[in-house]
Formats: sequence, structure tokens, C-alpha cells
Amino acid sequence: MAPPPDLTNLPDADVVALAQRGREDAFRELVRRYERPVFSLIYRMVRDSATAEDLAQDAFIKVLNHIDKYRPEFKLSSWLFKIANNVAIDHLRRRQLDTVSVSGSPHARTADEVEATSFEIADTAESALEEIEARELGTQIERAIGKLRPEYRSCILLRHVEGRSYEEIAATLDLPLGTVKTYIHRARIQLRDLLGHLRE
Amino acid sequence: MHHRHLLPSEIDLLLDGEVGFGVAPLRDHVDACPDCRARVHEAREVVAMLDDLPRFAPSPAFAGRVMAQVQVVEPWHVALVEGARRLVPRHPTLRVVMAASAVVLAAAMSSALVWLAFRTDLAMYLAAQAAAQARAAGMEVLGAFVADVFGAGASELLRADGLAGIGLVAIGFACAAAAAAVGLRRFAAAARRTRE
Repeated sequence: MAPPPDLTNLPDADVVALAQRGREDAFRELVRRYERPVFSLIYRMVRDSATAEDLAQDAFIKVLNHIDKYRPEFKLSSWLFKIANNVAIDHLRRRQLDTVSVSGSPHARTADEVEATSFEIADTAESALEEIEARELGTQIERAIGKLRPEYRSCILLRHVEGRSYEEIAATLDLPLGTVKTYIHRARIQLRDLLGHLRE
Repeated sequence: MHHRHLLPSEIDLLLDGEVGFGVAPLRDHVDACPDCRARVHEAREVVAMLDDLPRFAPSPAFAGRVMAQVQVVEPWHVALVEGARRLVPRHPTLRVVMAASAVVLAAAMSSALVWLAFRTDLAMYLAAQAAAQARAAGMEVLGAFVADVFGAGASELLRADGLAGIGLVAIGFACAAAAAAVGLRRFAAAARRTRE
């Protein structure tokens, strides 16, 4: 009996075909290939490594549990990045909605109500994880990227970290080509301005 | 030749390494204009920083956590082919014996079919006999069931009308079952609305 093919050298479409036939090693190979790019994109979007891992996990599970729906005329990576970007944007939107006041609800009238609706900020000493995040995302360029709007951030990261063309980014994010060019153009201008201020 | 400074979108064209029509004059202008040359250089520095951004790795347990929630399913047609493949013996001699047996079996079945084709009248007679016996047995069982449920009169009607009677009983039963199903479903929906 012929030995199983070496999956590491197969193109994505062939690995997906094997995954669609129920080969567990094919699923693992897809995770191995894309865990870093997907995690990196989401990490730079949400700026928290634990959250980024959870979201990256969700993205992979969504794609791999629907691998039978994959069509070979499209790139698997585009599909993965699209889902990853969507889960990150959804998380950022939910985080914005969940923002609460530290000093209690504005509708609280008595001291008890204020106490019931406020919360204490946890100890500000950095944990080991926060220390790693500060080191990883603390460089000038990373801090500047963190200040971009999420839409600009995902476009600039797909363009320069993942090396995607404008057309691929437009297809991945379901945006018109002109919009992608505008977002990247504005992101570059903002980054130049932000880096200029950070140097001062 | 450009007599104005470059627009930001024109700087982008140079950053992206565009080589189309209209880019050469931009390069010529950059060569001649120190201000624009400085702006392009600054922009290129930012792009270089972006291009050098590293990819971060998730924790070592990430892949395991993903695989724990992925449903690895072998489609039925793949399972069928793999199952058939497992039945084929590995030894070449056994494969030859198996192939020869399959050929003999196929030849025997083909011969039987050809014989039957030339004995159509006999085959039809036997088939009619079998159908009549099956019908008689079925009528007996159905008659007993109808007599138990609807009474002896209905059973007599069934025996008198034969297939038409069977058809009427079947239609009546199907309608009753469908009405019961619809009624139960509406009752369940109403009960759920009441609880909410």
C-alpha cells in the first residue's frame, strides 16, 4: 500500500480535497499553515492575545466545519482571512457597545445605586501576558497601527503583512476595489502622521 | 514634466511599484524635486516598517483546541469506496482468484437473465401466480385489521370492492393521519405560546 502523501508540499486546494474526504491530518495541516497569519491579523485588530486566540479558534472552526462548502476557484486563505476579519470586527463592535462607566450608572441616584453600578479597576501591575503584549505591540509602528480605524487596519495588514494584491483584498473583505485603495491610502497617510508625532 | 508637487495618490503609485503609463513622469519629478523626494522617502520608510512586521504565533495548544471542536466526517461515498478497497486482497494470486470468481458469477447471472428472456411466458405466469398469492394474503391481513378497527361491515365492503376498497381505506387512513398530525402540531404550538 502506497504511503500517504506528504501534505506539507501540497497546494491548499489539494489539502482541502483530502480534508473533504475525511482525512484528519489534512485538517491539521490547514491549521498549521494558517494559524500564525490568522492569529497575527486578529491579534493586531483586537490588541489582546487571549481574545485573539479565542477569535482565531472560532474562525478556524467555522471554516473547517464547513470545508465541504469550499469551492476550488477561490483561495482558501481569502476565505479564512474574511472570516477572521469578520470575527475581529464583530468583537470590536461588541466591545464598544459594552463600555460601561467606572464611576457608576448616570441614572443612579442614591449611594447604593452608584455602588451597585460601578466597578473597581483591577490592579494596574502588568501580568506576564500583558508584559509580552506590551513588548510585541509596543513598537512605534505597532502602536500607530493600533490607532487606525479597524477597516483601515485590516486592509493595511492584508496588504503589507500578508502581501495581498488590492484585488485580493477587495475580494476577501467584500469591498469595492476603489474603497480598498482609499483605505490603504488613508492608512498610510495616518501612519506617517502618527509616526511623525511619536518621534517628536 | 510635473510643475506641481506629487499628490498623495501619486506617491502611492510609486510605493506600490506601478509601472504603467504615467508613472515615468512621476519618477522624473521625484528625481528633480527634493521636497517630493523626501516625502516619497518618508513614505517608503513607513512601508518598509509595515513589510517587516512579524507574524505572531498563538500558544502551542492552539491547534489541539481547534481540532477538538472540528468535526472530521468521511462522506458516505468515500467510505463506500474505501470499504470496497479494503475487501480487495493484497496478495496478487488472491486478487486473480477473486477477479476470476467475479467473472464466473457475472457470467452465470447473465446466462440466467438470457434464459429468462427466452422463457418470458413462463416468467410472466410465475410472476402472476406470485402476485395473486400475495394479494390474497394481503387481503386477509387487511380484512382482519379493518374488521377490528371499523367493524365487520367495512371488512365485507373491502372484500367486495377489492383493490378499489383497499384504495379507499388507504386514502381514508392517510387523511385521518394527516389531520391528526396537523391538529397535534397546532395544539403544541398553542401550548408553547401559552407558556411564553
